[in-house]
Amino acid sequence: MKSLTLLMAMMLCACHARPDSAARDQGKALLASYGCIACHSIKGLSVNGGAGPALEDIGKNSYLAGVLPNNTDAMVRWIVAPRAVSPGTAMPDLGVTPAEARAMAAYLYAQ
Amino acid sequence: MPISKHFPTWRTLRITVATLVITGVLAIAGAAAVMWSGWYDVSAIGQHWQASYSVLEWVKRQSVRRHAGGRTPVMTPAQLLRGAVVYREQCLQCHGAPGIAPHAIGLSMQPQPGPLVHMLQRWEPAEIYWIVSNGIKMSGMPAWRYRMSDSDLWAVTAMVMHLPDLSPQEYAVLQDSAQETPALVEQTVLRKPNAPRGKIAISQYACQSCHHIPGTIGGDVQVGPNLEHYGTRQYIAGYLPNTPTNLARWLTSTHEVKPLSAMPQLGVSEADAFDIAAYLLDADQAK
Repeated sequence: MKSLTLLMAMMLCACHARPDSAARDQGKALLASYGCIACHSIKGLSVNGGAGPALEDIGKNSYLAGVLPNNTDAMVRWIVAPRAVSPGTAMPDLGVTPAEARAMAAYLYAQ
Repeated sequence: MPISKHFPTWRTLRITVATLVITGVLAIAGAAAVMWSGWYDVSAIGQHWQASYSVLEWVKRQSVRRHAGGRTPVMTPAQLLRGAVVYREQCLQCHGAPGIAPHAIGLSMQPQPGPLVHMLQRWEPAEIYWIVSNGIKMSGMPAWRYRMSDSDLWAVTAMVMHLPDLSPQEYAVLQDSAQETPALVEQTVLRKPNAPRGKIAISQYACQSCHHIPGTIGGDVQVGPNLEHYGTRQYIAGYLPNTPTNLARWLTSTHEVKPLSAMPQLGVSEADAFDIAAYLLDADQAK
């Protein structure tokens, strides 16, 4: 019963954990500092290259990297460890932490 | 005598033109209202009106007659045996066969595909071949030319031509002797990659059902990535450097290149893959 209450509390938290504007701003800064824009175009950030796909509309894509169903958890997994998700990918592992990736996802989905 | 006694006056002319314009505008407004209101029932339960059905049949007949042509090759017994196999595998599910009902999918379509026993009464052999090869838009009849070799298209044409001669028992006997008759061997044609042919192949492999592709007609989809300006991309699927040969390889061997990909392997032939690559990498594709 206790664990059920805990689970419900967690689910409620998950529902209410809507990315706020602070997380989005942090995500935007991280996307710039990790050099994501060297390969991807992202709204509000200057583009330096086009090796990876454009990300302005990423929220509408059905799949991430052609491999995972597109949702926040999958986005976090993908950003943190691209090669674990899709072994042959040209996207490098950049050492992003899960918390940072979550902030990046918040910005990417809110573009 | 004044001219106005012989010709309509400006007044009658103006009234006539105004009436036509108002009628036209009202008709368009009425049609738009019907579409906007959702009044039209798109369900496959309701049949077409007989008048619509008959008009569509007539348009189909005229169109096929105009587009089909060429000579019918001499049909051989070997072709008929192969045709029986193709018929059983591809046609039976929608059209049934002598004494055999169509499968659920064929029975559930609108308009219904119906039997093929009377095809030869209504069509020339070359027209039957054309219909099988090209399909019929909005009728549910698929185009088989990207799914079958030309020899199989003729083989199944031979089978359809033979249907009126078959009782249910004779159909069963034919299928017994046909068993798994393999495709008659066909020469592979080497050809130069061709972008316009690639554009047709794109729609035949349903690429635009998941990807936005300039120059093709489709809904607003982002199931797969947008393929606009594909020639400017550096990687294919994030895996292979973007070259025509690699793109063709991706299209024919998708899961060998990227085993976890959500993109299905579509059975694209090598020649079709190079045609599609030529179209996607053509910078002027949208023109």
